[in-house]
Order: sequence, then C-alpha cells, then structure tokens
Amino acid sequence: MIKHFFINILRNIRQNKVFTLINYANLVIGFAVFILFSALISHELNYDKFNVNYDDIYRVQTRQEDSHPTNFCTYSPAAYRYHLMADLPEIEKVLLMREVSGGANSGQFFTLPDGSQLYEKDGYWSENSIFEIFTIVIKEGNKATALTEPNTIVLSETLSEKLFPEGNAVGKQVTIGKRVPLTVTAVYADFPKDSNLRPTYLVSMPTYDVLSGGSEYRDNWTSITFDNYVLLKKGADPKLVDAKIKDAFKNVKDYEKSTPYLHPLSKLHISPNSQPDMIVGLGILSFAALLILILSSVNYINLSLANSTQRSKEIGIKKVIGSSKKLIASQFIAETIFHTLIATIIALCVAYLSFPMLNHILNKNIDFILWGNWQLLGFVGFVSLLVGVLSGLYPSLVISSYNPVKVLKGKIFSNNNNSISIKKILVATQFSISLFMLIVSLILFNHVNFILNKDLGFDSKNILYTEINISDKTPFETVKTRMLQHPEIADISFSSTIPFVGNIGGYVTWEGAAQNEKEMISRNYVNYDFIPTYNLKMAYGRNFSKEYPADNQACIINETALKVFGWTDPIGKRITMYGKSYPVIGVVKDFHPFSVHNPIPTYIMFLKDNVISGSTLLTLRFTGDEQKARYLATSELENIFPNDPFEFKDFGVAFYLDFAISFWQSMKRMFMFFAVVTLVISTIGLFGLILFTIKRRTKEIGVRKVLGSSVRSIYWQLSSEVIAMLGFAILVGCPSAIYIYNTMPGAYKEPLSIMVFIVSVVLVAIIAVLTISYHVVKIAISNPVEALRYE
Amino acid sequence: MIHLTNIDKYYDSKFQRTFVLKAVNLEVKEGEFVSIMGPSGSGKSTLLNIIGLLDQPSAGEYTLYDKTVLDLKEKVKVDYHRNFMGFIFQAYHLIEEMTVYENIETPLIYKGVKGREREAMVADLLDRFNMVAKKDLFPQQLSGGQQQLVGIARAIVGKPKLLLADEPTGNLHSSQGEMIMETLKALHEEGMTIIQVTHNEKFAGYGTRIIRLEDGIIRKDEKY
Ligand SMILES: Nc1ncnc2c1ncn2[C@@H]1O[C@H](COP(=O)(O)OP(=O)(O)OP(=O)(O)O)[C@@H](O)[C@H]1O
Ligand SMILES: [Mg+2]
Repeated sequence: MIKHFFINILRNIRQNKVFTLINYANLVIGFAVFILFSALISHELNYDKFNVNYDDIYRVQTRQEDSHPTNFCTYSPAAYRYHLMADLPEIEKVLLMREVSGGANSGQFFTLPDGSQLYEKDGYWSENSIFEIFTIVIKEGNKATALTEPNTIVLSETLSEKLFPEGNAVGKQVTIGKRVPLTVTAVYADFPKDSNLRPTYLVSMPTYDVLSGGSEYRDNWTSITFDNYVLLKKGADPKLVDAKIKDAFKNVKDYEKSTPYLHPLSKLHISPNSQPDMIVGLGILSFAALLILILSSVNYINLSLANSTQRSKEIGIKKVIGSSKKLIASQFIAETIFHTLIATIIALCVAYLSFPMLNHILNKNIDFILWGNWQLLGFVGFVSLLVGVLSGLYPSLVISSYNPVKVLKGKIFSNNNNSISIKKILVATQFSISLFMLIVSLILFNHVNFILNKDLGFDSKNILYTEINISDKTPFETVKTRMLQHPEIADISFSSTIPFVGNIGGYVTWEGAAQNEKEMISRNYVNYDFIPTYNLKMAYGRNFSKEYPADNQACIINETALKVFGWTDPIGKRITMYGKSYPVIGVVKDFHPFSVHNPIPTYIMFLKDNVISGSTLLTLRFTGDEQKARYLATSELENIFPNDPFEFKDFGVAFYLDFAISFWQSMKRMFMFFAVVTLVISTIGLFGLILFTIKRRTKEIGVRKVLGSSVRSIYWQLSSEVIAMLGFAILVGCPSAIYIYNTMPGAYKEPLSIMVFIVSVVLVAIIAVLTISYHVVKIAISNPVEALRYE
Repeated sequence: MIHLTNIDKYYDSKFQRTFVLKAVNLEVKEGEFVSIMGPSGSGKSTLLNIIGLLDQPSAGEYTLYDKTVLDLKEKVKVDYHRNFMGFIFQAYHLIEEMTVYENIETPLIYKGVKGREREAMVADLLDRFNMVAKKDLFPQQLSGGQQQLVGIARAIVGKPKLLLADEPTGNLHSSQGEMIMETLKALHEEGMTIIQVTHNEKFAGYGTRIIRLEDGIIRKDEKY
C-alpha cells in the first residue's frame, strides 16, 4: 500500500512535469514567505530571552504628562535610584546607568596604541550590579568588583581586541577623551544581537561621580538622562512594586507631572516607549505573510482540482473496482500532505538562503536562527500540516464523490458551474491584491524619491560637522581665521543644533497672542555665521550682526512662525520665552530642520555668545576634496584644542541615517517584495484557472481542431474572461491604493501620478496575456487526436 | 440471484419527464449468461449500471439473493463491488498510470488480500491470458484486444459471482472480439454469471439468453 502510494505520486509527477513545477513553486513561495516572517517575528519577540532573570528585570521609565501627547520616556532621573527604590523589600537589585555623553549615537574617544583616536559609541556609566541583573559572560577579570572603584572600565571583547590586539587587557590602562586614564578591570563577551542593551564598554559609576564633580546628581529629579533598572525578588508582584514606587514619588512635589513606572524587559524591545507602533507593525507583517500563505493555499486547491479532472477517470475506475470513498479521499489528503511537507522542507532552505535579502529589505542585521529554534520549526511544521489537510480536504471531497458512471462517460462537470465562478472570484481577488500591492509599492517608490530629492530649504551639499565638548573657552573668530586660511574650507559656523541633528524645544507667547496662548517651538542658538553657512534665505529683515550689540537679546523666526503668530509686519514685534522678551529682527524662509517626513516646526534662532565653550556643534562647508578638507579641519582643531579629540561627520550620512528616510526606504522595499510575491502567486492562480478551463474543454478544443477551427477563437474566449477579472481588480485595487496614499503619514507628499496606475495595470495585463498565450500555444501545437482518443 | 421488479428510470427536465427504463421486470439465475441488445439510447447501459449498483432506479424493487440493495450504505455497496461483481467496459478503462500487473492487482489490494496470495492470484491470471511477458507494460503499449483481456482479468481476479460487461467488444476488430467472447464463454462454463450488453448478434449468441430493449421496455426475452 505504502509502496503503491509513492509509486503513484512519482508517476503523477512524471506525467505532469510543468504542473508539478508550478504547484511546487506556488507552495514553496507561500511557505518561504511565511517562514521568513515567522522567523522575523519570533526574533523580535524573543529579544533578551537569554537573560536568566528575564522575567524579573524591569526598567523604571518616565511618564511625562506635560508634553502632548503624553510621552513615555525610556530615561529617568538618578534620584529614582537613590530615593525611590533603594529600600523596597520586593527589589532584589537596583542598577543605575547612563549612556556616555548622553543622547543616542554618541560615545567616547579612546586613544589607540599608535596614538590615533578611536570613536566608540554605546558606552555606559554603570554600577556593578549590571553583572548580577543581566546575564553577562566574563572573559577576563572579576565581576564581583569590576565596577566598584573609581577610574575603572570594563571592555567588550570586540573593543578589547581593538585596543589590545595582543590580549590580556585586564590591569592595563586606557585613556578616554584624551584626558581620563582608566584601568581595565574585566572583559566581557559581546552582548548577543538580540539584546536590547548592547554596551561596547562600561565605566564605573564612581568614575562618573569624580568626573561630574560629586554626587549631587543623585538628588536630581529633573535631569532625565539615566537608565534605571531593577531586578525584582522571585515572586514579587510588579504591580505592587509599581504602586509603591508611585506612592513614594508622591512626596516629590516639584516634579509631579512626570511619574515613574515599571516597564518589563519583555517589552523593552517591541515597545520601548510603551507605544504599540512596533506591535502594530509586526501585526501588519504577520497579516501580509498569512495572506500570502492563504493565497498560495487557494492556488494549491485550484491546481489540485484542475489536476483532478485529469485523474477523474482513474478515480472512477477505482471506485468501480472496489475502492471506497474514504480510501480515495484519505489517499488524496495523504498525497497533499506529502507534497506540502516536501514543499515546506524546500521552503525552509529557500527561507534560510533569503535571510540576507530580508535583512536588506528591513535595513537590519539580524541573525536569524532556524535550525535549533524548535519552537519555530514546530510551528512551521504544524502550519504546513494544517495547510496540507485543509487544502487537501475540499478537493478530496470533490474527487471522491465523483459519480463513476458520469466520470467514465467524461461528464463530471456538467453541473459544476458554481465552483468555476468561485474560482474566478478567487483569482480576481488575487489579482486585485497584487495590483494593489504593485500600485502601493510604486507610490512608495515615488515617495522615497520625493523625500530624498525634496528641496530642504538649505544647502545640504559639502557640509561637515563635528560635536565639540571642550573645557577651555576660545573665541570663535580665532578658529574661523585659522580654518579659512585653507581654500578648501569655505564657511564655518557653530550652533547648538544643526538641521537633522538635535532639537531643543520650548514654549513661547507672542505679541498679539490670546491670553494663555502658547506655542511649542523648536529653538536654536547660533552664531553670526550660521545663516550664511547653511545658505538660509532671509524673507524679511536681516541676519544677526556684530554692528548691533543688542542682537544678543533679539531673535530670528521662520516663515511658519510668522504664519502661526499671525503677523504681517514682523520686524520689531516681540516674543516672550520663559519670562524674557525678544524683538524679532529677521524672518528666514522655511527650511527643514528635521526629516522631510515632519511638518516644518515653528522655529526660532537666538544669538550665541561668539565664544566656543562646553558642548556645541561646529559646521563647515568645504570646496573640492572632502578628504582633504576633513583632514585640514581636524588637524586645525587639534592644534587649537590639543586636549580634545574630534571626529568630523558628513551631513549626508546623518541625512540617510534619519529614521524617517530609512523607515520609508524599508517600507518601499517591503512592499516591492510583497508585490513581486503576490504577483507571482496570482500568476500561478491564473495559470491554474486557465488550466482548469482548458482541461474541461480538451475534447471540445480537440473536436474544433479536427473540424479545422483556428485557435484564435479559443484565445479570445479565454482573454475576455481574463479582461473581466482584470476589470474587477482595477475596480478594487486602485481605490484601495488611493486610500493608502491618502492615509499615508507624512507632512509632504508628491501628488499622485496617473502613471503609477497605468504602469501597474499594464504590467498585470502583460502577465495575464503571457499566461493565456502559454496555454493557447500549447493547445495549438498539441495533437487533437490525443484529446479524442478515449471518446 | 437478481430480481428486478417494476424498475423505472427517468430524468426530469423543466417541462417533462423522460423515461429511460419503464416497468422493467427481470430475473437472472445463477450461472446464466445474459446478452442485452437494443438500439442506441434504449437504456441498456442504464440497466446494467443499475444492476451493478452504479446507478439508482427512480422506482421499483431490486433484490440480490432476496436482499434489497436499493439505498445501500456506501460501505455495503463498496463491499458488493469488492466481492460480488466485476465490470468490463467498452473503453477498457484501465488505469493508465499503472502497469498491467498493477491494474490486475489493484482490486485485490482493495479487497485486503495479503501479498503472497495476491501475487499467486495475479500470476495465475496472467498465465491464463498469456500475458506474463507483458506484465510490466503500460496499457497504452498494448493492442485493444490485449487491453480488454487485462480488463477482464482485472474484473475476475477477485473471483466475483457476477460479471457485468458493457459492449466489451465494441472497440475491437471482429477477430479480437471473438477471442474476448471465447474468454467470457469459458468463464461462464466455469460457473460465472455474466450479463453483457452488445450490438453484435453473433456475440449475443454466445449467451444463454437474449433480452431485447426498446425505449426502455423489454420487448423480447429469449432463452436458449
Ligand atoms: N443524466 C441524464 N439526463 C438525461 N438523460 C439521460 C441521462 N443519462 C442518460 N440519459 C438518457 O438515457 C437514455 C439511455 O441511455 P443509455 O446510456 O442507457 O443508452 P444505451 O442503450 O446504453 O445506448 P448506447 O447503445 O448508445 O450505449 C439516453 O437517451 C440518454 O440520453
Ligand atoms: Mg450504452
């Protein structure tokens, strides 16, 4: 029996090579996409699970109700650690950390053995309890005391190899920021890629005390720049702890608008800000992947039915000679399951090989784990079994209830018109979905180009910038004169923020504002050279000028601000910020201080003291060779500030790293991917439908050919059916794509182009015509006698 | 053995009822060799299908060995097909994906006959029909007469009591047809009950009884 089963399958495959190929392509694509996204989702959901204390680790975050909408900030003040949590009996361990230099993507300079500077991001000040809370593998050193003393640092393995290629880092000295010497006390294995926290090095908190000039920060409630982690005792109720912390917090009066709350480790990756964004994103992805799986299962059902008409005679005979309905049905289901399992195995390999592509699409670098992820493999196996059973069920019922008398007369389909129209609807739906996907991906394609090419309102070419953080004061003019000696450097300025890097918020009122009317603004402190360096254009008034000493009490606004304030004659009007009033001396034309995705904010510039001190951003515009300009600028700065390291960055990089840009780019790639996949799948669907129609009419077609009729009439008949389906797809697909365009977030969108629709429809039509043509050509070259042989 | 009483078979269309069989009464005893004749469309195949439990009469009584066999459960019907009757068709209806050997073997698999015994039974029939050399060929590789021989072998391999043949020689040359009829005759002489439909007077003569159908009514019933 088993032997017969397999012989039967093999012969079926051999007889229908094209059919088998298409069927497998269909299933493999469906499963591979499904596996790919299951792996992705499983990866996202399994973040941080390597931690032994996974269930008991929480980050204490800050809920800021004074911003609109309420902001859930992942950072918190150090005071939480010392004043709220230290004494709670449910808490096993507390951990205070702070990103070195503060703010995302910043870091610290290390002096390499050859004297050059290495800029290393993602370093943290940390307490030693990090080793007791998180699961960290120590390669060298003693983790009990690694971060307990001042002036000690613990390195990740990668960083240690960079700094001490010869090994044995423990006990050696490193220097950060050219001035702070630290002793390496331990080396740990790099955090896994699926860890939310991935420090490259840890500097002891006592060092922070020394560098920040004491321990006052411990009592500070307003500097929300720290990370507070807690490890709860086994069995402690996090809700109770949360309540207790909030309760203790009630006594802190001047800060009551921002409250602490516990956020579990399991949510730190998928919902760091307590927002559902990522969960919604994952939901949409799983929905799309599931949709593709369903589409390909539907195809599989259609193809099986088409194939079964060919096998109907065999089944009729089997019934007459004593096979039962149950036997036929179960054999058919067994065959289906066999095929789906084989397809799943192929799909697993395909998915495995396509992970790099998925990484590219998502702009990520995820290590997908397939082999050994038994949970995932089990799930995939279960789904494939389910698909096998479900998609085998209907055809098997249809097939096993064929009336042998009719089947043997060649009459199975006499009253099956219903199932044909269901099939047509299914295929038409598939076409609608793929047309929709195509249009949306083209819209996104245009949108990304639009964002990338949109006029930013300032000159973004040839710009280099660097963060500087210096201890001594230096007049800006000194720096400027030295820099401008070089013909490669055209302009230089400094400011608190620059476009796309940094933001300082605030509230203002203005002349003519209603009582209690406030406006949230974005402000910047700039020097005289900022506006010329970025080539900002003045709409009214003038730039800050040294000829007007009172300018340090004045401000320049942008056109959006002008509109918001409702002024017609802005020069000399006043705004008030935090109780201080500033006259407006100029209005700049609107430019994009943030990503093009966002609307241009109300933007106000104030004049900075023309002296460089503390932390600021230095911008220069170069002409000619970038490398040379970068080298000259760096060496000049190093001469002026011998005690400080610098790193010039290309503005273009900041622009492409911008979240909105990379988000839209991965959206575009994602939709293109889905468009291609659904297009392939619906082509297979159409192929199956036509195959089915033709199989039913083999005899008719054969007779016609014997009678001398051309294949043209068959071609037209098939085409008219497909044109009707295409019409349906256009009616459904285009409006839904327009809907997506309208709801698409983003302050600036390119108007919808009719070309997008034309291109998509034509592409789908071409594919449909090619599919029909394949079948018609096959008929045209086939021998009509074959079709008539058994009649 | 077979008892048909007042069998009607009709099809209803929108405006009228078309009778294919009308008040058919028929008794077939064990060991008879019945030939059914009649013009095209007179209901011969329909009658044979009803006897073979492949079709249901619209009205009337049908008993096999005094047991009614109308409205049987699927399971019982399958049982009759496995153990009681065999079919031969004009178009042979062999399974094209299977070799000669496998075609003959299949009914035995359904019947649940075990490996060794099955082999012996198939080998026996291949021997009897001189097909041993052809056992690994596929149906398309055989002549019509040879295909029909395989069809007969498949029909009788399960040792049925009743053999139903719908124009078994309809697609064959007369010499090949004769060979098939000789085979049926031999089976009859071994005691098998056979009912065949044929258009050929000469082949009808191989039987012991000829029934003539016209417009669904039995016009003549002659025994020899
Ligand atoms: N499903 C059906 N609906 C309506 N009429 C039917 C149906 N099936 C068969 N018939 C009619 O029943 C009649 C008898 O058919 P049957 O196949 O029994 O004839 P036959 O005597 O075997 O003819 P032939 O010698 O050509 O094989 C025919 O007129 C046919 O048109
Ligand atoms: Mg007939």
